[in-house]
Amino acid sequence: MVCMNDLMLTQEVHSPQEITCGAQRLREIARQKEIAPQTVLEVFEQWAAALDVRELREVPGLAFLRLWLRRGTLEPVLLRELGPDFLNGGWRKDGRARLRAFPLGVVGHWPAGNIEIQPVLSLTCAFLGGNGCLVRVPRGLLEITQQIMEKLQEVDRYGVLTERTFMVSFDHSRTNLHEAMAQAVDGAMIWGGAEAVSQVRKLPFPHWARVVVFGPRLSVAAMDAEAWGDRAERSSWCRRIARDVWQFEQRACSSPQALFLEFCDERDPDEFVKDLGEAFQEENRLHPRRQIEPSLTSGICLARALWLLEDAPNRAVFPASPDWTILLGRGTEIPKPTQGRTLSVLLVDDLLEVISKFDGTVQTLGLAVKSAQREEKLAQAAGRSGVDRVVKMGRMHLFSSPWDGVDLIRPMVRLVRHVRSQE
Amino acid sequence: MSAPVEITQCIESLLTAPLYGLDPKARHSSLLALLKIELAYACDRNPRFRNYVEHWPVHFHTADTIADLPYLPVGAFKATPTLALVDANEIKRTLTSSATTGQVPSRVVLDAETAKRMTKGVITIIRDFIGPARRPYLVIDTPENLSTQAELGARGAAIQGLGSFATEVVCCLRRDPEGNTSLDLEKLLDCAAKWREAEVLAYGFTYVIWTHLAQPLQRQGVTLDIPNIRVLHSGGWKRLEREAVTRDVFIRGVASVFGCSADRVIDFYGMVENVGVVYPDCEHGNKHVPAFAEVVVRNPLTLAPVAAGQQGLVQVCSVLPTSFPGFLVLTDDMAEIIDYDECPCGRLGTSFRFAGRVPKAEVRGCGNLETTRYQQGQGNGLHE
Repeated sequence: MVCMNDLMLTQEVHSPQEITCGAQRLREIARQKEIAPQTVLEVFEQWAAALDVRELREVPGLAFLRLWLRRGTLEPVLLRELGPDFLNGGWRKDGRARLRAFPLGVVGHWPAGNIEIQPVLSLTCAFLGGNGCLVRVPRGLLEITQQIMEKLQEVDRYGVLTERTFMVSFDHSRTNLHEAMAQAVDGAMIWGGAEAVSQVRKLPFPHWARVVVFGPRLSVAAMDAEAWGDRAERSSWCRRIARDVWQFEQRACSSPQALFLEFCDERDPDEFVKDLGEAFQEENRLHPRRQIEPSLTSGICLARALWLLEDAPNRAVFPASPDWTILLGRGTEIPKPTQGRTLSVLLVDDLLEVISKFDGTVQTLGLAVKSAQREEKLAQAAGRSGVDRVVKMGRMHLFSSPWDGVDLIRPMVRLVRHVRSQE
Repeated sequence: MSAPVEITQCIESLLTAPLYGLDPKARHSSLLALLKIELAYACDRNPRFRNYVEHWPVHFHTADTIADLPYLPVGAFKATPTLALVDANEIKRTLTSSATTGQVPSRVVLDAETAKRMTKGVITIIRDFIGPARRPYLVIDTPENLSTQAELGARGAAIQGLGSFATEVVCCLRRDPEGNTSLDLEKLLDCAAKWREAEVLAYGFTYVIWTHLAQPLQRQGVTLDIPNIRVLHSGGWKRLEREAVTRDVFIRGVASVFGCSADRVIDFYGMVENVGVVYPDCEHGNKHVPAFAEVVVRNPLTLAPVAAGQQGLVQVCSVLPTSFPGFLVLTDDMAEIIDYDECPCGRLGTSFRFAGRVPKAEVRGCGNLETTRYQQGQGNGLHE
């Protein structure tokens, strides 16, 4: 059995005891040493600065992470979720009682394997609540997570966050280790695909544990005719959607899989697709793929073929490589996502009609709409139809609270109510 | 409607050319020219296929290499309606792939001409490896897979494709009323006694041979003693890999139960979408491309052809089909190009080695809804 002094470096664990022991240590620290939110914000601010290094610049999502760690981003989130008194570490009045947020204790994190910065993003949410963090780092993200955490270690001179961290790695098939992790935590943040999430949810968490699930979801974008028909603005919108498509290889829940274009007789969708193709080409030049899973290449080739072999007069634009694909046609249903920079551009008569048919599957709706009044109606319809985020196209991945309609920090604290005995 | 005479004549000329003896450049040039004519014909016959070809980044008329021509991913043959270049009344047979449970099989339609070419293609290739003589044919399968039906699976097609080499056909497996398959040992021993001195051909799916013949015989300590047998097998290694049975273990095991040398156990790669073309291993363990076909191995990152020594996605090409657009098919298999010119066995042209199925995607993230909204599929959505 090993109890690490330096739990921050990801440990390959082999036995349930290693996890139990590490979690126990985290719990003791969380109970014995309170950490002020201001201290966390201070370390985060320095961490953000430390991450501004050449070797990490190409990491997908790192720019978001740096922005997320800034005090200017997080203070408003904390204020909204927990109020000003929490920031100052105090109690707030609630009638004749008073309330104060306390950490849950140890929060277990099961990040998805597709977002490079997700183990760290998840961890930061629980840190802000003063918790210790037990993080299972997916194998494919070990190296990058390590590099990011080393920067925290550099700036966290007194070890206030470092000592609250236990990063573990083990094969996804090791059910006993998943179970040990679940039994050792007081809260859990679970991110991922349908099957992964359902498997983690079934683990034997203590009855008091708070479990928050993010994903699986998908996202779409929509443009009204005035927005895509405006030649002056069209290129800019195309660049924006290209950026949203490129991030995370379209594997994130906030990645647009389809773009609904509101049809208009006076405007030629081919012109739009031409501009979009150029934007995709340029984005690909700036951010070429370094590698690809062969199954994704197969999936992309198949998506192109099936789309064009349909009876409908579908069209498509793509290069000889699997770098990107635009599938153009008509339709109000969200097609099965291919991912891998494959965007279905669907002409529709009325965006409102399409959005009203969404179900809880859609997480984010990226919008490009000229009229504020129209956008208001679309946002209302989206909210009613299960969409949790309605944002400007080009900002679909901007991580913010609430996410998936859920606060990020609030679920990982307990609000303790104190009614004075003398009153 | 039959394919134009120009096409059928060109196909015939390649079918009768030296199988592995054409100069690679000259062969490429004839194949490219014929494939362009076939693509134009297919576009005329099928508007859906034409739509696909018209959107290809390189216009096929201007393509300089076979690798530039528009290819269909193998999954496109699962589409409904089935991709056909002939009218329904001309379809003589439909071949289906061996899809695993829950998956949709590929379907390819054959008219009389394509079916005839398919048989001819397979016979020509196999003859090059086992010789032309007709001989007793041991089918390591149940008699049900011998029956001639309008719709034929990959197993049945392979069994029947080798029928031309047979003087007599014996199936050595049987199925009981509950559907369980077992070895008919008595029948097999009778055949072994009768065929001891003879040249014999045996064929079965790789996992069927292992599970229903080699393992039971090994357990019972039976050796058949048919030293002149040629055991052909196909269908892939996936199931055996799951049981940790390596290629070497398989070959040695099968050779030992038949009492023949290991070089008489020959694996071949083939698929229903690539009708008439099979790729047996030569004595150096390489697969070769016959005169009427080509193989392109593509880098998954760029889809460009790889250099010798590199692995990638296998694209098979065949000029034989004219009843469905199966000229250029990107498979879900991986292979390594060994050489583009010549193998030590003397066969010219592209030689390659099969390197397994394309592995399923390992990383499935928060945008993966496979098991909820889109219930078609691949399943594993674990965290890495």
